[in-house]
Amino acid sequence: MSKLKNPTELVDRYLQAVRFWLPKTQRQEGLIAELGEDLRSQIEDKESELGHPLDESEVAEILKRCGLPMIVASRLGPKRHLIGPALFPIYAFVLKMVLMWILVPLFLVVLAPINIAQAGADWGGALAGTLGELCSALFIATGIITVIFAVVERTQVLEKTRAPGFVCWDPLNLPPVQKERKPSTLQAVCELAFGFFALIWLLLLRQNPWLILGPAAVFLKAGPIWHVFYPVIVALSILALLRTATILAKPQWTLFPLASLLSHEVLGFIVLCFLLSAAGAAPNGEWHPFVMLVQGVHDSASHGKVPGIVNISILVSFVIWWFAQGIALLVHAFQLLQRIRERSAQAQQTASVQAHS
Amino acid sequence: MYCTVCVVHYMSNGTHNGTEVFENLRLELRRGCLTLAVLIQLRSERYGYTLRKALADDGLEIDEGTLYPLLRRLESQGLLVSQWREEDKRNKRFYRLSPMGSEILEQLMSEWQSINASLGKILQEA
Repeated sequence: MSKLKNPTELVDRYLQAVRFWLPKTQRQEGLIAELGEDLRSQIEDKESELGHPLDESEVAEILKRCGLPMIVASRLGPKRHLIGPALFPIYAFVLKMVLMWILVPLFLVVLAPINIAQAGADWGGALAGTLGELCSALFIATGIITVIFAVVERTQVLEKTRAPGFVCWDPLNLPPVQKERKPSTLQAVCELAFGFFALIWLLLLRQNPWLILGPAAVFLKAGPIWHVFYPVIVALSILALLRTATILAKPQWTLFPLASLLSHEVLGFIVLCFLLSAAGAAPNGEWHPFVMLVQGVHDSASHGKVPGIVNISILVSFVIWWFAQGIALLVHAFQLLQRIRERSAQAQQTASVQAHS
Repeated sequence: MYCTVCVVHYMSNGTHNGTEVFENLRLELRRGCLTLAVLIQLRSERYGYTLRKALADDGLEIDEGTLYPLLRRLESQGLLVSQWREEDKRNKRFYRLSPMGSEILEQLMSEWQSINASLGKILQEA
């Protein structure tokens, strides 16, 4: 760096750097002029203290003490924010709702399965593509929401709501305080009874298909796919029964109902995934039927179309169930996380109170 | 060994947080006091640098980035009046209390004395 003829030129360079980060207004020009005057006064004082004009390094020392131009500008300039504290809670809420509760479920539960199903063997590429699209969608949605709120902030729409007389909320209309719900005994008893009868019904199905097929059991029977999935479904029903019994026996385990429900839903979701993929995994582009004609009625013209209709109905029901299960799973996972967070916050609060008492 | 590292890490982290908390609280405490000190000093006319020096001489250091926006704010609130004037061949902005500023300063002083007295009482009791 070349040596300066006049070391105080450094001050002008410094002020220029500060000015760069400030909005160009008359008010800021005044601040820069005052800062410049302050720095020159400091230099003068130092010179009279030392008894000689300051050299470059001594002036630089004063400027260094004053601070980095960008930081000084941030202190001098007006306090600016894209979204102010009054609007920020609503912004955060809207952002969370759109990103976590609309886009993520839409992509993971609806678009990802469709893309994967269409991709066939290249399901990995389809999944990666969907995740990439999800990232883009999250990014764009965040941008749009931020711009909208920034516009609201700039136009000061909220100012009107702060005006006296505008605010018409009544504290009496506030929702009651939510307490941690203990599992209802009556509900658990009903679930246990229903689960027990459902299990009995399920176990009887194998020998008595009319319990599910009704009069059609004369010419319809379960497809071979159920040889694998029937025991799994029975096992899931037994698990559900055990879960309800545990809720009844241990009502003090307040986290257990939700945690076990979530685990059960995860298992159910996995089984449904396997069931749907197994149904569509037959060779020759066909699929494994859920029901088929009993041997001997193959040629009957009146019954010929029934298995097709029943199979399509079962397939559609399973697909809808799969979607619903996926959404329920996400909702319950979020609720469980919230509950765990509340608990740890409460535990910390209690520990802190105990430590101080 | 692992435990020692963890404890040392926790302690250093705790100290760091403690320093940060102290610094934030110190700044909060200083903010109101600085406003009061600036208003008191500006009962007689001063420009920025001499004001900073006067405050520093009395033990209240204040940097340029804090003082000038504060002066602007107080002026926009009507507590100060300012004037650009040439002195020693340089343009300087001189500040002094406005009549409204003098009234508010009186009220703030009595508030300060009341807070000070209360704190002294609380400290004696503790």
